Amino acid sequence: MVAPLKRIGLGGITGSPVAIGVALALMALLLLVPLGHNGYIEIVFRNILMYAAMAYGWNLIGGYTGYVSFGQVAFFGIGAYCSAVLSAHNVDNLFADVALACVVTALFAVLVGLPVLRLKGHYFAIATLGIGLALSDIVANLDVLGASSGLAVHHVDEAHFYVYYYAMWLVALGAMLATYFIARSKLGFAFVAIRENEEAAAVLGIDATRYKIIAWAISAMMAGSAGAVFAPANGFLDPSIAFSADSNIFPIVMGILGGVGTVAGPFIGALILAGANELLQKYFIKIHTLFFGAMIVLVVLLLSRGLVWLFGLKGGARTWLKSLTAYKA
Amino acid sequence: MHLVLQDLANGILAGGILAVVALGFSLVWGIMNIINLAHGAFVMLGAYLTYQLFASLHVDPFLSLPVSFVVMFAAGYLLQRYLINWVVRAPILTTFLLTFGLSLLFVNIALIVWTGDQRGVTTAYAGANFTIVGVTIPWVKLYTLLVALVITGVMHLWLTRSKTGRAIRATSMDIGAAQLSGVRVASIYAIVYGLGAGLAGVAGSLISMSYAINPNMGEPFLIKAFVVCVLGGLGSVQGALVGGLVYGIVEAFATQLDFTIGTQHISGSGLQDAIALAVLLIVLIVRPTGIMGKATA
Repeated sequence: MVAPLKRIGLGGITGSPVAIGVALALMALLLLVPLGHNGYIEIVFRNILMYAAMAYGWNLIGGYTGYVSFGQVAFFGIGAYCSAVLSAHNVDNLFADVALACVVTALFAVLVGLPVLRLKGHYFAIATLGIGLALSDIVANLDVLGASSGLAVHHVDEAHFYVYYYAMWLVALGAMLATYFIARSKLGFAFVAIRENEEAAAVLGIDATRYKIIAWAISAMMAGSAGAVFAPANGFLDPSIAFSADSNIFPIVMGILGGVGTVAGPFIGALILAGANELLQKYFIKIHTLFFGAMIVLVVLLLSRGLVWLFGLKGGARTWLKSLTAYKA
Repeated sequence: MHLVLQDLANGILAGGILAVVALGFSLVWGIMNIINLAHGAFVMLGAYLTYQLFASLHVDPFLSLPVSFVVMFAAGYLLQRYLINWVVRAPILTTFLLTFGLSLLFVNIALIVWTGDQRGVTTAYAGANFTIVGVTIPWVKLYTLLVALVITGVMHLWLTRSKTGRAIRATSMDIGAAQLSGVRVASIYAIVYGLGAGLAGVAGSLISMSYAINPNMGEPFLIKAFVVCVLGGLGSVQGALVGGLVYGIVEAFATQLDFTIGTQHISGSGLQDAIALAVLLIVLIVRPTGIMGKATA
């Protein structure tokens, strides 16, 4: 009933190699940000890296495996609360934070994935949306986690804040490289086979349930790691911060703007969208969400195949104009 | 015993409204294969329409129901015809995000127009109620339920008897065959989306009489509409009604939960989303076709 997503010109399983080169170069440039000693700029770019890591997580399950998840914020929140709990026990070590977050989010993904990944399409999308909302509800009622009033998380003094920046940079870079190597491995081919046709993949001997759970667990670890670094950097955590609607939807829009199922896409999308959002917030504080809504509508209507698609586009503007009416009734 | 009956009555009264919310959502989903994330925003806009008519022109909220329907139908029709139609056959992610973007737009426009303050439609008869076998029932909620029942009845008759209704059902069964028989799919889609928005608007007007109004009020109803659709069975009018009533009752009892484990106090009223998700997962695992649903592929 629904036409398959047309991927002409995407440049194979990793997307355009030129785009990957551009993404890596930009990533290297971001290493220089803390040298400017501007706290505000550093936070802006740290958030871009955070969203990029989450967008990579979403891209693996939503983009490569074709299971459109709307609940990645659950993993981000769990990762963040892992750090908060460790901090409450006076363990303040970013490596420990990220390691614990990876273990807990992967376990949670497997447990929840067993029932939820049996669902397809709209059902999967809403069930995952529900997981994020439900977790927020539950945490807001758990006294151990500070309930709705939240928890303070220890962090290093202001002069050493660049630690969090570089940690987030590593998480984002790790997510990008992991996506690249996974996409080119047997794992990546299994994911794409499931996306294109799950029954056919099963006939070829791919254990779809197993690979779906693997994809979801890895995507959970990416979002969880970002959360684990975010919590101490932010210094405070409550359910509305850990499970915010922004952290849920931003990464998805970024993945789409950059290019679903590509290696460079999520990072490029994060850079543009988070940057634009920051500027809107700075200059149009009252109506910036309105702009953001309009931006989503425009991206979906004009660029649903993503910027990476444009890198390898044959036929230029005419192909692009044609693509606009491909899904018209 | 009285408490149980009261919860039951509250559940049925709330369920009637949920059925109307879910009906429009279910039509759009079942016929166009779109999860309309802007549905909650339409509910909110309907509520504000009733509020505005009541506050500035003193129109009785029940009289504003047709206005809500017509205005929201027109808005939905135009939106589908000139915007959503461009990507209506795209993969779910596209329409999901598009309707989410629209929802953000509407909610923020409402924030600018009416600010974030809580509003209410307080009629002279708002507090009136009667008591029967120890159960207190507000008149407004009873009338709301009756209106909801009438609307579902009319919708059912219209979809099964009228020419347009039959064209709509034909489109949902087999687009190709419907087109061959002379059905214009693009205009059917616009009518269906308009209906979805119109029903959401009416639901919003009904909700405005018993609940507080604010720009974000639609979101919880959106999630519940989804659960109700899955619960009752997708794309059927009876399904939305039965699903709405059952969900209303389940929620009325679940939110009364109140107990303590160790030092942790657990109260159902703070866990509405968690309850909705739990119901959703149980139904999807036990009976994926819903209570009224037929077994389909």
